[in-house]
Amino acid sequence: MQKFWRFLTSLRLAIGLIVALVVGSTLATLIPQGLQSEEYITRYPKIVATLVVETGLGHYFSSLLFLLPVFAFFFNLLACTINRLLRELKKKGQRRHGPDILHVGLLVLIVGSLVSYSERKEGAVTLRPGDSVDLPGGETLILKSFSDERYENGRPSHWISIVDLTKGGKPLKSSVPIRVNSPLRVGAVTIYQASYGSEATLEITEPGGKTTFIDKGASLASGNAEIFFMTVDTKGTEPQALLRVTGVPGTELVRLGSVQTEIGPFRAAFKTTSTTGLQAVTDPGYPVVLAGLILVALGTTLTFIRKLKELPA
Amino acid sequence: MISTIAFILLLAAAAIQAVFLFRRPAVSDPVSPWLLSAAALLLLGFSIARSLEIGFAALTSTFESLVFYSAVIAVIEVAYRFQKKAPFFPFVEFGATFSAVVMLAIASSPLLPKEALPPIPALKSAWLALHVSFAFIGEAFFVVSFVSALVLLFSKDDKKRMDLDRVTYTAIAIGYPIFTAGALVFGAIWAERAWGRWWSWDPKETWALVTWLVYTAYLHVRLVMKKKEALPSIIAVIGFLCTIFTFFGVNYLLPGLHSYG
Repeated sequence: MQKFWRFLTSLRLAIGLIVALVVGSTLATLIPQGLQSEEYITRYPKIVATLVVETGLGHYFSSLLFLLPVFAFFFNLLACTINRLLRELKKKGQRRHGPDILHVGLLVLIVGSLVSYSERKEGAVTLRPGDSVDLPGGETLILKSFSDERYENGRPSHWISIVDLTKGGKPLKSSVPIRVNSPLRVGAVTIYQASYGSEATLEITEPGGKTTFIDKGASLASGNAEIFFMTVDTKGTEPQALLRVTGVPGTELVRLGSVQTEIGPFRAAFKTTSTTGLQAVTDPGYPVVLAGLILVALGTTLTFIRKLKELPA
Repeated sequence: MISTIAFILLLAAAAIQAVFLFRRPAVSDPVSPWLLSAAALLLLGFSIARSLEIGFAALTSTFESLVFYSAVIAVIEVAYRFQKKAPFFPFVEFGATFSAVVMLAIASSPLLPKEALPPIPALKSAWLALHVSFAFIGEAFFVVSFVSALVLLFSKDDKKRMDLDRVTYTAIAIGYPIFTAGALVFGAIWAERAWGRWWSWDPKETWALVTWLVYTAYLHVRLVMKKKEALPSIIAVIGFLCTIFTFFGVNYLLPGLHSYG
């Protein structure tokens, strides 16, 4: 037992595990990760491909090849930290707790990483102004507007989604901006500005005055008349909708621009609307990771300030 | 133009230091620290002016990062010359100046775009400025450790090897916490805010971690080995080569999220 404890707390074991992680991680950056087995077989000689597939090098960071040394490192570090902490606490004079803080930080970081790896969830949604989406906490997010701001040279400057938040019909927050690098945190969910785009829609006013929006591939009927939104022609100066109309004599194929046009009983116009891509993430591991990172930064700083002070002049 | 003048000053400092390397008895040249100081001031002034021009810290392209890196190497060298804690070696000083010259020469390459461009949305974050600046300051200390470790590997004098080991260790002891904060801690915080994922195993992230693990190995190997032995110095050299691969190799050889810098 004593022999095992000595092995577990040995610095040589720590160094060996660090070397194993360095070698494995280096190889993982040189071999494309997450491909299908057949793709490795077409890329590499058979023996190399078999090695990559069988050892897990093709998905190294979720393979035992990576996880086993990480677990071993965790227990080695835990044992060393306990050992060192007990030794320091027995000291009568000045104690050095910088390395302890650093090591505890690394342990917390590993635990946080595992929670993050297993519990992190994400989802993405594309919204047009006016669209809404329900969040896991019962809140509703409504997109008020999206702006794609540019510098004078056309380079993107900001992508901003302005949103309202409500819960049970009551307003929670109004006109909150979500920018890249400035996400919105709603309870356990963080909402990121992830992408942007545009959607082609057909705005149709029916005979009764009701306005309906239909997307490409959809149709709308009223009485005998029906409009089918076939596709978008982007070849001209202005994009146009191509429609197939039935039940309106003399009108079968219609090209429609942004100007409202009468088609049988309908009035229709083709519009391009900006859309925003929002990503919602829940990561219960991140607060743990953040605590670990802060401890690591604090621990390294304290350790080396002390060591540098102790260097003889 | 300013970076060209700084380049000439660095080149002149390197030339003077090279001449003094062969003087016996060994003496430090009185001129190069002033040339290095002037070059550092010009490069930092250039970075500040460019930051004002683009409305953000000028650390968003390879060119801007290299200018900053060269400036910090020059500042550290001047500090190394005038400090009293670590032994002074003209070879180490010359090697570091030479590294700053090489970095600035790469920055001036016609292959690198130099246009002052305002940052795209993904780069607009104070965490990015902290991430990049701290990582480069840490790596500038690793330049000194690299040169002293390299000189140690070619030295046969035990006393000299002990002194060179102290220079290597001191440089890493200062650079390691700064690099840890910059490359790993601030990098992870920025990634969480920008991409919603604090770690993605992107090649640059992985190589930054590999670099950190190599320096961690150095610090632990040095604890269990006699200081004049070669292994810690070999690891210090490998550590610096990792920083170079993380910066250049990953950018040009491996695809990933850090394609802009």
